Amino acid sequence: MRSTNESGEASSAAGALPAFEARRRQILRRQRLELLIWTLVGSAVLYASFSLSGIFSTALDSETLDRIAGFIDRMIPDLSASELFASRQTPGSLEAWFYDWRKWTGALFETVQIAIVGTAFGGAIAFCLAGISASNLVRFAPLRFFFRRFFDTCRTVPDLILAMILASAFGLGPLAGVLTIIISTTGSLGKLFSEAIESVDMRPAEAIRAAGGGILAQARFGVVPQVLPNIASYWLLRLELNLSVAAALGIVGAGGIGIELQRAISFTEFDTYLAILLMIVGMIFVIDLASQFIRSRLMGRVSDLPEIGGIAAARPRTGGAPA
Amino acid sequence: MMSLAGGASHGQVGRDLILRARQIAPGALRQPLAKRLTGPAVVTIVVAVVAYCVADLEVLQQLYFGGLDRLERVLSAMFPPNPGINPLGLLQALSVTFAMAIVGTLLGALGALPLGLLSARTVMKNAAIHFVVRRVMDLFRGIPSLVWALILVAAFGLGPFAGVIALALADIPRLGKLFGEALENVDDRPAEALRAAGAGWLQTLRLAVFPQVAPVWLSQCLYFLEQNFRSSAVLGIVGAGGIGFELEERIRIYAFDEVIFIVILFVVSVGVLDWVSERLRARLV
Repeated sequence: MRSTNESGEASSAAGALPAFEARRRQILRRQRLELLIWTLVGSAVLYASFSLSGIFSTALDSETLDRIAGFIDRMIPDLSASELFASRQTPGSLEAWFYDWRKWTGALFETVQIAIVGTAFGGAIAFCLAGISASNLVRFAPLRFFFRRFFDTCRTVPDLILAMILASAFGLGPLAGVLTIIISTTGSLGKLFSEAIESVDMRPAEAIRAAGGGILAQARFGVVPQVLPNIASYWLLRLELNLSVAAALGIVGAGGIGIELQRAISFTEFDTYLAILLMIVGMIFVIDLASQFIRSRLMGRVSDLPEIGGIAAARPRTGGAPA
Repeated sequence: MMSLAGGASHGQVGRDLILRARQIAPGALRQPLAKRLTGPAVVTIVVAVVAYCVADLEVLQQLYFGGLDRLERVLSAMFPPNPGINPLGLLQALSVTFAMAIVGTLLGALGALPLGLLSARTVMKNAAIHFVVRRVMDLFRGIPSLVWALILVAAFGLGPFAGVIALALADIPRLGKLFGEALENVDDRPAEALRAAGAGWLQTLRLAVFPQVAPVWLSQCLYFLEQNFRSSAVLGIVGAGGIGFELEERIRIYAFDEVIFIVILFVVSVGVLDWVSERLRARLV
């Protein structure tokens, strides 16, 4: 498709037009063939995926629909308008729905703490390792290669699997959650940080070296001022993402609000599940707003994050699933 | 470290220069106190908050009292990795996980398409509609697929179908936002040209906007496929089928040598998928 027409050069001016036409037909034919192959491969993969993921075997008959309807009915609490603000003992009041809200607020707070501690330590480790693994600071390639693979591995193992393994080692509680978030944050921020460090202008650092500055002075005054706004911004975005990760971690017993979600499901209290879910969504929403405010205040100078590593880097928040 | 080079007389000249410059323009060499204090203040606040959280969570105590030697026991149980009695079953579970990711991403993209259109300022002129659509997507964006899966498994029963729906539900608001942003970033001139030639709303969308955003959307979908492959492995833990289910079983019986084998298998296959998808995306954009 992209190769140039070499035979056309040899032919005379009179034969150029037919040669051009032939070449065009050939290209069109190849494009159609490619499209056909892609369509075939695509539909084969899709068919296999559909059958493997049980779409065909799941009979969506009236019974399933009934079950879903009944399920939604059980999820929606029976609120009565007249007793909305009555005490907890009155069925139909808000407090009877959010019957354990004091405990859930505490668990939510624990989730926020897990996210903060994990992101702080993960970010600090990632920053130190990123400095070592940036090609413009350290010329020793094997070290760089090692840390790059290390970041990749940390990123790839899903958070929850890590959390399950750690929870079986450390027992139930926030420690497993904190360690999980430290590891996954080190992986994702390490990659972003080292790419940010690699894109800096090296001339200030060179000037400091010329003035007699050592390697630490070069890093502190030549590199850090350039990358700090970006790094702080990535760090805050990662904090937002880690909040929703931390909320889910509790499901496998790693502390925080997830434990309450798991408990509500195992006791089939679906309206409680909805209540806790609403609290999580509200918490994430509030923190998103706060973080956006802080970012625009602190990082007003950088209007936009540079495009590093594709969509993942440019919009880590919307990257969604643990990256 | 940053002292001026040269002898004593040279240093004296430099200091005189600085003194004179300070007299002429005091603000140029010295930032106001409030500005100089901002950095240390931010650092202090962050450190204080983190320290408080560490203390309140009591993680250090947990780590100190018996945590580390238990970790050591788990780590030593992991080696050598062991494929278990049924390695083919693992491959099949892995393919179910991959299939869930593909179907979940497809359904998520289909659901996100109308939301993306409605949330783009350039397509949807009605400010109220795109404001509402955006806020609703913002609200739902924070819900991880696992939280959806937990409740969907309760609704649909165990199996990959619940996982597929969970992935789709988690993707719709996220992809919808990205789709909308891509729509807002298109070059408006082809659309203007078409409108000037008398094209309607749908024709403009089809011929001027869509050709520009289609590759971007496709590349975003591929990126989400990578992410969903990772998440769908996790969904198995709550009973939504695939490799996570196998993993959960083995963690429960403390068969860590088989756990580490599955983890390595998964990491390698994620690497392969990422590599393929990256090459496809490079061809698209």
